[in-house]
Amino acid sequence: MITVITGFLGFITAGLLLYLVRKDHLHVAHGLGWTLAIFVSAMLGFAPGIFDTVAQTVGVAYAPVLGLSIAIAALLVKALLTDIEYTRLKVRQQRLIQKLSLLETELNELSGNPPLDD
Amino acid sequence: MTTLTDPASVAARHRAAVIIPALNESGAVTAVVQDIIDQTALPVWVIDDASTDDTAEKARQAGARVISLPERLGAWGATQTGLREAKRMKLDWVITMDADGQHTPADIHLLLEPIREGAADVVVGSCTERGSKLRHIAWAMMRLTSGLNCRDLTSGFRLLGHKAIDLLSGAQASHLEYQDVGVLLMLDGAQLRITEVPVTMPERQHGKSRIFSSWLAVAYYMSQTLVLGAFKRRPPKLVKRWR
Repeated sequence: MITVITGFLGFITAGLLLYLVRKDHLHVAHGLGWTLAIFVSAMLGFAPGIFDTVAQTVGVAYAPVLGLSIAIAALLVKALLTDIEYTRLKVRQQRLIQKLSLLETELNELSGNPPLDD
Repeated sequence: MTTLTDPASVAARHRAAVIIPALNESGAVTAVVQDIIDQTALPVWVIDDASTDDTAEKARQAGARVISLPERLGAWGATQTGLREAKRMKLDWVITMDADGQHTPADIHLLLEPIREGAADVVVGSCTERGSKLRHIAWAMMRLTSGLNCRDLTSGFRLLGHKAIDLLSGAQASHLEYQDVGVLLMLDGAQLRITEVPVTMPERQHGKSRIFSSWLAVAYYMSQTLVLGAFKRRPPKLVKRWR
């Protein structure tokens, strides 16, 4: 029963992702990554025995801990990559704003026209 | 009236400017700009950090060249805008000053002396007499974490030579949020010669500090600055005191 529930939840979440991508709330590239993650989670939900086998192989006594550890590690990496990308975008944005203001100033000085409204 | 030695020839001989980042300083900017122009004959650039008052207009009327940012970038972002323009125009040096009247134009000649003698790439106008006991404790903590032994770590009154202009106008410097420890560490890391000269700094005439506007702002500033200092510190190097 639990496998049916987890599998069902996985498909519901995949459906939500599809909606977000269709409505342009989520970029397709990010949607692909999340879809893969949820598909894997849904499949594992239908076949939890896989975790028992893998846990036994790597020496983890309690199999669900392996799943949780992998999930936490993946989320940490995702969060770190997001912050790195945010930093890059923030710096890029700042430099573009600076460039815009300098170009606008020079243009206004040359043309004598007032600056554009935002 | 105290003037620079040969102010007209200084401005003509050295391609230079005074850069003033300004956020809602309409109360002080007119006097500051006029004072600098009267005493030094240097071009004044006011970088308006998306002010909501008439700072830009008042600065323009006072004789400054105004560069207006469409979005607020903070004091360092605004200063870097001026530095990027200085690099584009291939200026020899720039002076950065605050728009609130805390820095005295008459002291600009003190910052010029080490540059004229070729003894420094960066000159910091230092006034350690100012500020509360808490500020001095903060400075001590910053010196401890960063390894910088500059006495006045937060002074915005600086002269930057062309090497410093090139370095600080680059993308790496855009990662910085404040103009003090991070900037000094970057200059130190590039082996630029940093010198301090004592200057006078009267109390702020208008407005209030943005960094120390609330305890939360102070906590954010201090935690960021201390962590940055610890992560980017280099072996201690003596910052020269100019005479």
